[in-house]
Amino acid sequence: MGFWERIANIDRRWIYLLVALSVTLPMIIAMKFPIGLTPEAKQLFNAIDALPDSSAVMLTFDYYPSTIAETEPMSVAALRHMFSKDMHVLTVSNIPLGGPSIAERVTRAVAAEFGKEYGIDYVNLGYRANYVAVMHGLASSIESIFMSDNTGTPLRELPMMQNIKNYDDLDFIYVVADNATVDYWISIVNAQYDIRVGSGVTAVVAPKMYAFVESGQMTGLLGGMKGAAEYEKLLGKKGTATRGMDSQSLVHLLVIFFVIVGNIGYFASRKKEKK
Amino acid sequence: MLENLTFVEHFQIWLRAFLILSLFSFLYKDNIFYKFSEHIFAGLSAGYYVGLIWRSVIVQQLINPMFDNSEWWLVFPGILGVLMFARLKPKWTWVSRVSLAFVIGNTAGIYLISSLHGMIFKQIAPMMVSVNQGDGLEKILLALLVIVGVITTLVYFYFSKEHKGALGVTARVGIWFIMIAFGAHFGYTVMGRISLLIGRAEFLFYQWGGSLTQIF
Repeated sequence: MGFWERIANIDRRWIYLLVALSVTLPMIIAMKFPIGLTPEAKQLFNAIDALPDSSAVMLTFDYYPSTIAETEPMSVAALRHMFSKDMHVLTVSNIPLGGPSIAERVTRAVAAEFGKEYGIDYVNLGYRANYVAVMHGLASSIESIFMSDNTGTPLRELPMMQNIKNYDDLDFIYVVADNATVDYWISIVNAQYDIRVGSGVTAVVAPKMYAFVESGQMTGLLGGMKGAAEYEKLLGKKGTATRGMDSQSLVHLLVIFFVIVGNIGYFASRKKEKK
Repeated sequence: MLENLTFVEHFQIWLRAFLILSLFSFLYKDNIFYKFSEHIFAGLSAGYYVGLIWRSVIVQQLINPMFDNSEWWLVFPGILGVLMFARLKPKWTWVSRVSLAFVIGNTAGIYLISSLHGMIFKQIAPMMVSVNQGDGLEKILLALLVIVGVITTLVYFYFSKEHKGALGVTARVGIWFIMIAFGAHFGYTVMGRISLLIGRAEFLFYQWGGSLTQIF
């Protein structure tokens, strides 16, 4: 068996080990790979930045706990940006498994950094089943869908909700999602109720979203951990996404190396077979 | 650096670490720890969903509005929901079709409008603009590229005529555009999957490692 054949038949567990080492090495030795900025991330940042102070915005937590490495840094960076401009933040989740509790934990932690008060500066609506019906229902009355917040407090008792009754009272919707709900924020809420929507999505979802940015249906886009790191860079406050990007970049180099070696091995084996 | 953890917090971190490592152990080979964690996940998810649907649908959207706000008309969707259980008995399966007809009709109507408004019209409209918008050569070339990409890709999915001659050449150009799109998806998927691994690795390194340091 030749060298390239041995490479082609290598036990895949060696590859797992190399990937594991590439992920953990930057946690021990900081590598500081550069993070470039994309126009889509700048567009989202500028859209939030251009909103008047004290605007009312909706931030969605449409993601499962399994993807928090990508999505939670987006939520944290967005909340820091919004609270730094004294915005009123309304959070909602269309994902039952984890979404509302992640929203509760993350929002309270970031609010504490800025001295913001629940009910006055931010409210967590929680989760209601059937997100298509929820998105349509919020257009006429938030209280018709969410009579109480995530902890059971009636919305009419929360000061912030006295001025936010439906989409007309919101200046922007910032969707953080790891699934198809983002499609409906665009095709229902943006298209039918004309509310500006920007999003931060997982890398798996991101490629499809570029078409919506190009068509003007979506105002800015963050794609995966890289997108979150970009927002952190624009905000000037490093977070877990920036930290994770060293591992991400090193593994990408490893994957590129494997792709090149795999292709050389394939062509070398084919050439040998022809002979 | 983690603050001083309580016993309960230590226990939570160690339980999470055990489950993560048990699931990762499958990468070496299938084993009892992997199966144990997998079954716990499946069982917990099923139980959680049952509880969630009971609270957020049955209680919050049916029972509470009926009894607290006297919205008695909700009895009709409630009956439609009960009819779905008729599927459990083969002789009565036909009864559940009443509920299914409502669900299918309702869903088709809602999704048709959102697809037309949000996807089809809004995506086609940017294709209809002039390529010569006076925004410079770069914009014109990009607009032309999009037009060529859309047309050739659509031609590739036209199967009513054999892909030969001009149609074949156009379809082959379409394949290139499709392949580039697949490449972009693959690249992003790699990034997404590695991000999941990074998330777990960071938990093990910083939180479990922090707990280990505090204990020992």
